[in-house]
Amino acid sequence: MAGGPNCQEALALLHDYLKQELTPELEDKITKHLQKCRPCFANLQFERGFLEMLEQKAKGQCCPDRLRQRILAQLRDPSDA
Amino acid sequence: MTDPAADRSAFEAEVLPQLDSLYRLGLRLTTDPSRAEDLVQDTVLKAFRSWQRFQPGTNIRSWLFTILRNTFINDYRRRQREPIPMDLEAVEPHAAFRAAQDEDPEGAFFSQIVDAKVLNAIDALPEEFREVLVLSDIENLPYAEIAEVLGVPVGTVKSRLFRARRQLQEALYDHAVEMGYIRARDRAPAKP
Repeated sequence: MAGGPNCQEALALLHDYLKQELTPELEDKITKHLQKCRPCFANLQFERGFLEMLEQKAKGQCCPDRLRQRILAQLRDPSDA
Repeated sequence: MTDPAADRSAFEAEVLPQLDSLYRLGLRLTTDPSRAEDLVQDTVLKAFRSWQRFQPGTNIRSWLFTILRNTFINDYRRRQREPIPMDLEAVEPHAAFRAAQDEDPEGAFFSQIVDAKVLNAIDALPEEFREVLVLSDIENLPYAEIAEVLGVPVGTVKSRLFRARRQLQEALYDHAVEMGYIRARDRAPAKP
């Protein structure tokens, strides 16, 4: 990728781009490509929507209170640990 | 000489805020709420016993995820069915985007899918895909730390993630079509 990335290269890096896992130089190249390439930009929006949905839906699950209480009780009672 | 009460309170301050994350990873690995609870409890006790070995300033989440995963592999996985060995490289990348782009280019159909269905679809992924997906896309651990937790190179993390996301997208897209959240893209007629 000496110059700018082509679409195939950009699409392969969309997730890493969204997760901010690219080097600043590569991130800059992808940003420039996305600014001028509508299909890749549309794909970016789609992948972003997917990742946001995933985090939001899965984060609804939390440690049940009874487990939290059980763990606290065990930590504070060495004979039980 | 360390003060046990101070030690315990330092441990609690670091570890208790991570219980939700530990429980979520435990749930996806065991796919069973009551086993997930036992796994988290075992993990926290093991972490407490080796608290002296935790290096302050390093990532507490990676440390805890590693203990949870090792505990799962050593003490839990044997009691449930072994993961089906599969050629992870053989999973074909599938672009749900290509199928959905005309009607729903922003993937709005994803948010119509109920939470439980999304979680079931994650649980249906091979274990190697599930753990990497949870650590990256739900718990937001950087790739380098995921590589440490799993004991694999960063390149492996990336390629598993790529395939995990594609496979999950495909399952969710199929479900969305089935539920009528999105129309199936016209497929080429089957050859006689």
